[in-house]
Amino acid sequence: MKTPTQKKYLWPLFSLLLVLFSGWSAYADQGGVTRIYQTAAAPFDDQISAESVIALPLDTIMVRTPYQGGRFWTETRKDKIQRFKCSQCHNNKPVGIDQAAEVAHGDIRLNHGSPDKPLSCFTCHNKEERDFLVTEVGTTIDMDHSYQMCGQCHFRQKKDWAGGAHGKRLSYWAGERVVTNCAACHNPHSPRFEKRWPATYSPPYKK
Amino acid sequence: MDPLKNSDCQKPKKDRQPQGQKTGRRDFLKGAAKFAAIGGAAMLTGCSTGMLGSKEELSLQFKEYFKKNYRLMTQEEKDETVQRLERLAKLKNNANVQMSSKAPIENVLFGYAFNVTRCEGYMECVAACVKENNLDRKSNTQYIRIFEMEHGKMSPEVGDGKFFHEVPVADHFYMGVQCFHCQDAPCTKACPVKATWMEPDGIVVVDYDWCIGCRYCIAACPYYGRRFNWNEPVVPKEEMTKKQHYLGNRMRHRGQMEKCTFCVQRSRQGRLPACVEACPTGARVFGNLLDPDSEIRFVLKNKKVFRWKEDLGTDPKFWYFVD
Repeated sequence: MKTPTQKKYLWPLFSLLLVLFSGWSAYADQGGVTRIYQTAAAPFDDQISAESVIALPLDTIMVRTPYQGGRFWTETRKDKIQRFKCSQCHNNKPVGIDQAAEVAHGDIRLNHGSPDKPLSCFTCHNKEERDFLVTEVGTTIDMDHSYQMCGQCHFRQKKDWAGGAHGKRLSYWAGERVVTNCAACHNPHSPRFEKRWPATYSPPYKK
Repeated sequence: MDPLKNSDCQKPKKDRQPQGQKTGRRDFLKGAAKFAAIGGAAMLTGCSTGMLGSKEELSLQFKEYFKKNYRLMTQEEKDETVQRLERLAKLKNNANVQMSSKAPIENVLFGYAFNVTRCEGYMECVAACVKENNLDRKSNTQYIRIFEMEHGKMSPEVGDGKFFHEVPVADHFYMGVQCFHCQDAPCTKACPVKATWMEPDGIVVVDYDWCIGCRYCIAACPYYGRRFNWNEPVVPKEEMTKKQHYLGNRMRHRGQMEKCTFCVQRSRQGRLPACVEACPTGARVFGNLLDPDSEIRFVLKNKKVFRWKEDLGTDPKFWYFVD
């Protein structure tokens, strides 16, 4: 039995429910791509999906820092230094003055560190074992793992580099993760990027 | 050129209708349809024997003219049209292109992140993009624009997109803009002939041969992400990228829309787009959004990200982030 009072509240109640339902459905629909990637949790299997993914390049080395729980590789450094091994000359044997002018590091301009606390050669290079680097606490570091050296001060950048927000991957987004090392982009003796002209320009956009 | 005034076009009609033979209505219509098709093909190529090229070229172009929309093609039809286009490129420009019609990889949704702190405005990405995607050198088409912006400004609309001086400039940052491959792309909705759509791997592509050149999508795109070929694109043969994709960097023609495709010819092979590979500062991050171990997911999880004009609800798959 419907009294007029109940009938009076029926339509407002119905419209209120409609508004609530439409609001809820709009809320459930939102998110778009954010929701898509946040709900995707299955790791991507490169080996099955991308058949053309290359095998690991030869001049890479596994990084000692984990990447999102997994492993990744970086380019080696030693085979790209022109006059490695350093101990060929730095071996406590006398070097003739003619030779010294030829092979000494006159081209290096050290521009690293703040002006009030500049770095010197032996901040990074190992005085005893010349083929290696040395940390502030005296740990010997291989040249291939120079990211450990840089990461002492630039720990934020190292964290980003290990994660993928700093530095860049080599050629492939799929397959094993191979990234460039610090020295591929930054000159260790003068790490800041230099001012230069752009490669090209955009044509003026005519309206 | 008016084909009616050209004597070459009129000739076959005379030959094909011998005098004194009775033609029924059905035969006449059949013949008329054939002539119309020949006339159409002739009109396309300019209706002169010099421009028509060989008989093979003409027949290939005739078949090309009546192919389907890419999305409606079966794999065999895709292979056929790719072979035809390869052959046509050989006949016309003597270019040995390798075209692919590779389908999207399963479980992949491409995403892109751009580090506004790292970008220094060296424009290497633009140069690499022009080279990779066979962009028109005559009108200087570019998919990417880099804006030089003062600190504190957050929209490229107030930036300088035409800079050409030594970079980086103090107290400025650089913001790159290209197609954002929106998940809810307004350009695909604006197209009256469904020549543009989003592929399952998230790349918004154009079927160049299906495009009618109405440029509605340009008007619909809030990011100025699309480019139109006002003239026949000019790419020197020695500079042309030979590895092409049907939806990617194959040669476009006048009156067709084109856009960034995240280098579909590269990304579907597992490779990075040309702009990412060329970037000298590592400001560009590209990867699979569905893979929790990908770099793009690390950026989205751990960095401060924002999207340009997010309030429009276009849901772009292109994030900016700061260090």
